[in-house]
Amino acid sequence: MEFGLLQQQWSTQNAVRPADDRMGDVMVVGGGISGIQAALDLSSAGYKVYLVEKSPTIGGKMSQLDKTFPTNDCSMCIESPKFIETDRQPNIHLMTYTDVDSVDGEPGDFSVTLLKKPRYVNEDKCTGCTVCVEYCPAKIPDPFNQNLSLNKAVHIYFSQAVPLVTYIDDSCLFLKDKTCSICQTVCENDAIDFGQKAEKVKVKVGAIILAPGYETFDPLPRNDYGYGQVRNVVTSMDFERLLCATGPHEGQILRPSDRKHPRKIAWIHCVGSRQVTPGGNSYCSAVCCSYTQKQVILAKDHLPDLHAKIFHNDIRSYGKDFERFYQRAQKLPDVHFIRSYVSIGREDPQTGDVSIRYATPDGVVEEFFELVVLAVGLAPPKDAERFSSIFGIELNQHGFCKVDPFNPSQTSRSGIFISGAFQGPLDIPESVVSASAAGAQAAGLLKSRRGQLSEERVYPQEKDSSEEEPRVGVFVCRCGANIGRVVDVPGIVEYSKGLENVVHVEESLFACATNTAKAISDTIRDKRLNRVVVAACTPRTHEPLFRDTLREAGVNQYFFDMANIREHCTWVHSKEQEEATKKAKDIVRMSVARAGKLEPLDEFSLPVDKTALVVGGGVAGMTSAHTLAEQGYETYLIEKAPDLGGLASRLHYTLEGLDVQAFVKDLKKKVYQHPRIHAITDAIITDVDGYVGNFTTTVKSKGRVRTIKHGAAILAIGAAEYKPNEYLYGRDDRVMTLLEMEGKIAGQDEKLMAAQSLVMIQCVGCRNEDRNYCSRVCCSGTMKNALKLKSIKPEVDIYVLFRDIRTYGFREDYYREASNQDVKFIHYEPQDKPLVEAVEEGGRSFIRVTAADPILGKKLELDADAIVLAAAVIPAPGSSELARMFKVPLNPDGFLQEAHVKLRPVDFAAEGVYLCGAAQYPKHLTETISQAYGAAGRALTLLSRDTVVASGSVCDVADVDCVSCGACISVCSYGAIEFVDTPRGKKAKVNPVLCKGDGLCNAKCPTGAITLSHYTDDEVFRQIDAALAG
Amino acid sequence: MQTVAPQKEIIDAIKASGGNAFKYCYQCGMCDTVCPWNRVRNFSMRKIVREATFGLTEIESEEIWRCTTCGKCPQVCPRDVRQIESGVALRRIATEYGVFAEGAKPIPGVAASLRAEGNPFGEVRAKRADWAQGLGVNRFTEGMEILYSPGCYLSYDPRAKRIARATVEILQKAGVDFGILGTDESCCGESIRKTGDESLFRTLARQNIGHLIGNGVKKILVSSPHCYHSFKNEYPEFMVHFEVVHITQFVHQLIADGRLTLTKDYAKTVTYHDPCYLGRHNGVFEPPREALRSVPGLQLTEMPESRGNSLCCGGGGGRIWMETPKGERFSDLRLEQAAGTGAQVLATSCPYCITNFEDSRLNRPDGGASIEVKDITEIIREAI
Repeated sequence: MEFGLLQQQWSTQNAVRPADDRMGDVMVVGGGISGIQAALDLSSAGYKVYLVEKSPTIGGKMSQLDKTFPTNDCSMCIESPKFIETDRQPNIHLMTYTDVDSVDGEPGDFSVTLLKKPRYVNEDKCTGCTVCVEYCPAKIPDPFNQNLSLNKAVHIYFSQAVPLVTYIDDSCLFLKDKTCSICQTVCENDAIDFGQKAEKVKVKVGAIILAPGYETFDPLPRNDYGYGQVRNVVTSMDFERLLCATGPHEGQILRPSDRKHPRKIAWIHCVGSRQVTPGGNSYCSAVCCSYTQKQVILAKDHLPDLHAKIFHNDIRSYGKDFERFYQRAQKLPDVHFIRSYVSIGREDPQTGDVSIRYATPDGVVEEFFELVVLAVGLAPPKDAERFSSIFGIELNQHGFCKVDPFNPSQTSRSGIFISGAFQGPLDIPESVVSASAAGAQAAGLLKSRRGQLSEERVYPQEKDSSEEEPRVGVFVCRCGANIGRVVDVPGIVEYSKGLENVVHVEESLFACATNTAKAISDTIRDKRLNRVVVAACTPRTHEPLFRDTLREAGVNQYFFDMANIREHCTWVHSKEQEEATKKAKDIVRMSVARAGKLEPLDEFSLPVDKTALVVGGGVAGMTSAHTLAEQGYETYLIEKAPDLGGLASRLHYTLEGLDVQAFVKDLKKKVYQHPRIHAITDAIITDVDGYVGNFTTTVKSKGRVRTIKHGAAILAIGAAEYKPNEYLYGRDDRVMTLLEMEGKIAGQDEKLMAAQSLVMIQCVGCRNEDRNYCSRVCCSGTMKNALKLKSIKPEVDIYVLFRDIRTYGFREDYYREASNQDVKFIHYEPQDKPLVEAVEEGGRSFIRVTAADPILGKKLELDADAIVLAAAVIPAPGSSELARMFKVPLNPDGFLQEAHVKLRPVDFAAEGVYLCGAAQYPKHLTETISQAYGAAGRALTLLSRDTVVASGSVCDVADVDCVSCGACISVCSYGAIEFVDTPRGKKAKVNPVLCKGDGLCNAKCPTGAITLSHYTDDEVFRQIDAALAG
Repeated sequence: MQTVAPQKEIIDAIKASGGNAFKYCYQCGMCDTVCPWNRVRNFSMRKIVREATFGLTEIESEEIWRCTTCGKCPQVCPRDVRQIESGVALRRIATEYGVFAEGAKPIPGVAASLRAEGNPFGEVRAKRADWAQGLGVNRFTEGMEILYSPGCYLSYDPRAKRIARATVEILQKAGVDFGILGTDESCCGESIRKTGDESLFRTLARQNIGHLIGNGVKKILVSSPHCYHSFKNEYPEFMVHFEVVHITQFVHQLIADGRLTLTKDYAKTVTYHDPCYLGRHNGVFEPPREALRSVPGLQLTEMPESRGNSLCCGGGGGRIWMETPKGERFSDLRLEQAAGTGAQVLATSCPYCITNFEDSRLNRPDGGASIEVKDITEIIREAI
């Protein structure tokens, strides 16, 4: 392909975007996962967004991770489709390698001066061909790979970068002393421009969202655990790059000193966190326990006979599926979790091994390891102080952004919101939630401007290829080393050329990288391809991207098939390269055969009813409803109790000392008085019908039945408190739950106030066989109430019996404060639970709790006047019926199951329905509020549109063959099939909009009356024939 | 497993004694992993803290007397449990009740001697300045450049007296206008305070302060890091503020100012040990090394565990007066490390370290033939 032609065609594509007028709705500062999510939400809700990122590409820290917990999804695989979405979204104006210089103005009218740093590469001319990189003589430590490998002074930050354009680092020989300009000479597009200067650009926007992320704690200044002095001590981010197939050793875990595979690895928790020593941070970084477990699981995968020891002092596995993830790591052979912080002994100069000293009840053990990984914590982003002064926002005492606990998207300055880890240590789902929350609020601020500056995406006219012979293009992806290292890619390319209907085959390093995706579009046009097979990873993450690529080329997107030669081949047969190559060829052959039979399909456009329904009138439901109503959407709020308020009605104060009752009262007032919110209390939902954009819900309340038509639904049904049967609860009125204690403190209950000694027992009813999850809020709730009681009555003795103290994030400070107030903590193991007995002794009546203390080596006998049980948070009663009605799933613990734990935390797989609050999983009030705003933000991306598109791959019943047996109806989990009257009698009919195309009815139909488009018998048999032909 | 109940009165007593910070402990075990005791036997500071938290301290046990107050665990403790202050609180209670475990039995005798004669050895006060006889050392008078306070060891112990003499030679060679308080000087009190005898410490401190003020002392030169620590960090509790200089700092300054020139060769390989109370507790790491580097011909090597990570000799916390059985001596390990660097001389600048190292040196397999133990002043004096 000649570059000239390429350039011309790229110009054609770029011509879709006119020169920018520097005027937008929202500026998102920071292009990590949360910045990207905020930009995507806002841009698809009718706002023009400037996304500003200081690195050469968007992606942030998530792009450096290998996999993400707790699903172990490949990080880049779930993030990069969002890069392409961002790139292709006309309402997002991406400005990379750009910093913020100054800000003026007020909410609705900000003027931001940006500083575009010189790349020395012209973004419009660079094609990302990397010839300059090949020829550049200057090598620099690669920042993306944590300086563990070298890259050239001119390079693309990472392979999936957006924009896919090089940049030149300051170590460039020309920039230093004008020697060398080889890159300029070899660039065929004249894209190198050493004359570039930093440029100031002024942009006007109505609102700003700050998403600068975080820094990892740097152990170098204090040489923590020998980091920087002992060769084989690395940070977790270093290790993440070592694990990654795109890392310094292509996924081989090789240790620094001698590039050998380590057989014994130690992970050290809490590096830089949970400490008041100078130079450290007192808070808990919230994600390290889980990311360490992830690294252990992955390392075991890379090195099956790995001996791993993980040193900790409480495992903070508090989130959804975290506890099971922890157990998964624990169950691996030769993996040991040891409750002890450690110190480094010495480095063996010959072997490079490092010894670690750790404490056990029997004494200190010194053990050598071949590699030590420091689970470093999270610290405020480098720009925190600078942003504080530029944007005029306050930071908290830890240097993170100060936020309103009752609205964690709101900074101290109106019109400036924040998203992501700038507010404090957050994991990816929380960051994504907060992004949607910030988006919702920015949208609210600018609701009068919605749609004024935004543009729609324009696709080229779709060609009619019905008269054409199939012309199949096969694109084989190496996926870095994931595929390329296992199978013979050139061999597969050669093989594919010989397959029927194939007219073009090529390979690429990363088919998902923007230039490759664009090149595929161009190739489709150039070679007049009308069928496309991409042999690469999984359609689960990448099918939408490639279907979109076909649309960009004017080809019906259903002419695409994905041959999964990664998850189905190289990832599971990584040690059998020859066999894997044969299998990959089989898979490609099957795909090509199927592609030849594919038909073009249309997708349906449906109107959207711009009314919302929120189920659940607690803080989550009220917050979502209010947000939607404020932005002009009629909202029905359905609550089963006689009044709004939910679980929060039983809370009086937060850990930070805020008045919950006042907040709830205020929120209720706002909701009841809002003209667009129709609150229906004492209500039950009896039926839900319809589909995205067009739901009909039947509600029964106070004898009256109403049918409500709405386009979106938010499920915020909350949770409930487990009623224990352990520890004398229910049999002795001195034993109460945590919520009951809070109620008694608020009500100044005489008996509780008179108590001289209290024992609080954690993890009651969960983290066991019955409920294998952590209730997340109880450790903090215990600290909160213990501190409250101590503030009223300092002399009271309080003992807390715990398994792990899970005061994650800034809540850790309150754990230390509780110690400061003389609350005593005793660790117990689940197989040695405390013994609780009612006792009469010496004329006194009390409850005796006996618990073993592993460090004392003795049993402690605690005589208490009251026992408080941190009872589990359980799913709300009625959640399974409601889930069934809305056709949404529950997770194994009974909480609502979101579409994707990491990147779609408030969506359901079923479109049009969203979730938030404790219904998704137990959470704190602040987290609930954030998620409620987030769900509203996501609902807005639907409600703000006039139409919504449904899939083309659906089932259809041929009346002629239907014998009205009803088997299909019984098996459809989406209720998409019903009997309709026809001249031939009752026949089954599929509603194409509800149909999800899973094919169950198709398989069940005894007469074969049902066909599934895109998976017709013909297509499937073709694939099977092809499989057997090899 | 034995069953016990927390003892509230004891918890309160420990708090009243200064042991408030125990409450912060979250049982991470970091203290145990850095404690030098766990190199020679099992000892758990974590357990001591845990027992104190519940008022279950065994006041008659050996364990509360083990800590040498080396400072390694407070340095790393994530919760700021202040193990030294907290540990001393326990010893205060033991001292108050006169309960001394077997290993700590010498302490009452030491206290009696300090009270009576201002030194821990049972020697008479009158002989305190005998080491200076014939050296032309003057009595301190107001207006002199600096007061030299050798401390108890350098005044009475035969090995340490050699350090005092070497020091005087250096000062005189450099033309420093100095004097000593002689028999008016009492023990600084640092170590006896760490054994829990708070009232004796106050007595000694007041005595010393009286003489220091009475003689118009402004600047004090000390040889012992323990005196350094006490005069600099603890005496201000009595609202006094003297300028305190350690001999290594002073020598370094003399060389830098050109007042002291080292011309003779000292062609040996020397390794320097950072005393806990000079290094880790007070941050003085470079001056001694700079001073040694100024010696012509001297090759300086570094041991593992140097500077802030220095391995305690075992003498602090009053343990210099207690018997540590063979096989449990940290100083044995240190000699091993010193020899491991190929050094011919193990240099340091603390009388406790010198005492313990000399002991360990003699107990080495070769009887100490291959390595010498020297105070820095003894090396500097050779090079003048």
